[in-house]
Amino acid sequence: MLVEVLWGMPQVTYLRILSFMRTRTQESYLSRMVNVLNYIQENLDNDLCLDELAKQACFSRYHFHRIFSGMLGESVKELVRRLRLERAALQLKTSDISILQISLAAGYESDMAFSRVFKSKTGLLPSVFRNTMKASFPCSPIANIRYMTNERISSFEPLIEEELTMNVMIKHVDDIVVAFVRHTGPYQSCGQAWDLLCSTLAPEGLLGGNARMIGVSYDDPDVVDAEKLRYDACISVDDSFNKQDGIGIQTIIGGRYAMITHIGSYDNLSTTYRQIFGQWLSQSEHEAADKPCFEIYLNDPESTEPEDLVTDIYIPLKESNHGEN
Amino acid sequence: MEKIDLFKLHKADYIQAKEPKLVEVSTGHYLTIDGIGAPGSTTFDDAVMALYAMAYTIKMTRKKHGKGDYVICKLEARYWSPTEECLSKIDKSQWQWQLMIRTPDVVEEADLIQAAKALATKGKTLSVNQVKMNEFEFSNCVQMLHVGAYEDEHHTIKKMLDFANEQGLTPKSEHCEVYISDPRRVPADRLKTILRMPVN
Repeated sequence: MLVEVLWGMPQVTYLRILSFMRTRTQESYLSRMVNVLNYIQENLDNDLCLDELAKQACFSRYHFHRIFSGMLGESVKELVRRLRLERAALQLKTSDISILQISLAAGYESDMAFSRVFKSKTGLLPSVFRNTMKASFPCSPIANIRYMTNERISSFEPLIEEELTMNVMIKHVDDIVVAFVRHTGPYQSCGQAWDLLCSTLAPEGLLGGNARMIGVSYDDPDVVDAEKLRYDACISVDDSFNKQDGIGIQTIIGGRYAMITHIGSYDNLSTTYRQIFGQWLSQSEHEAADKPCFEIYLNDPESTEPEDLVTDIYIPLKESNHGEN
Repeated sequence: MEKIDLFKLHKADYIQAKEPKLVEVSTGHYLTIDGIGAPGSTTFDDAVMALYAMAYTIKMTRKKHGKGDYVICKLEARYWSPTEECLSKIDKSQWQWQLMIRTPDVVEEADLIQAAKALATKGKTLSVNQVKMNEFEFSNCVQMLHVGAYEDEHHTIKKMLDFANEQGLTPKSEHCEVYISDPRRVPADRLKTILRMPVN
């Protein structure tokens, strides 16, 4: 609606409002993420569930973690592990709590396990660290969130690569009916699903022409174990397609999508996703919708060098701008 | 069963030489489709689509029936003019061409008939019926890699002709192009195309 209202305005005013909106959403991503970070700090000893974290800041449950790791440069798990270690370091220095107790509070099963990890980070065993005046826990090179005892985090510098230029197109996508095979396991081994799908569809004359090869991934590999990752290998078909053994039919729901072309190996797709969510989305006036992303593969990985592969990535967006439903 | 990759198997046929080089290209089977029109025109794109649809349908249908698997080769093309004039002198819409994809010789005529029928039934382009299987003997060729826009190929062809003359060889038929790069992704000045000129 807002867009329609804006059409009537002079171009300059329109642009000014747009840039104001953008700054506001940027701030909103940042301040909402700050809420999440404070919640993490206050609940370091609890099991932190991603749904709860997303709820804390009204983020889409679907894409919360990608936005998080994209903006912070580390996963929730990594951040929690690091904050607990930083807290342990502080406890070693400022209290006489036993190393075993500190180890357990940091989430380790034994002081042995804790000592090993602690030494790998600081170069010192916890007992030596405790007695060395000048020893300090090293700063993490990627993020600027550090463990704080009583203060709340008020802001942070999100990870932004200066050199990064992303060519993003906002598109309206129609519903796409697809025949699909579900693969559960590491994304790299989805070839079997593709083989089954293609060899079933080929004799039916359903390959070629405008048939598109689409991948739908439901899980973030940073969060879900590789063995449990869900992926659908899909080929677009028309409504007349009948379900067959091992092949399902479903509709990829259309709507507004941000499209980014990824060039290169499929192994690097996760980096591009992280950049889209953490850097492009968090600085844009858009909000991700609660739907999975999908990928359209434009060439054949069997006969194309990995660096020449072209993949269009589609990120679902909420219909309205600037984060309001 | 091992997957056949003709592009790797016949590496010598696809040598990407920076200077003109004499090569003996092995005889092979190709799926082909002929037509007239400028590259990039509707007719041309339709033919490319039909050729690929046939290539993948045949490959995956054979695979389903346990008849082995192979990698789809790069697209190749030969262009000529009806009047045997130099192509650069006639309008592109008059160009005649044959598009080709090298295919293992285990593929049979029956595979083509079956694939074309299946595709046509599903309303894919009727050009699938024009796709044929041909054996092609290139034998002696002058070959060189062209890097750059397709429009600039004449520079490379000139080099190849000069080389052929020096060697006392004469071109015996139109040249063939093997498309290594994907024009959707690679900027025109970096496109890689193998140019192959059969000689006597």
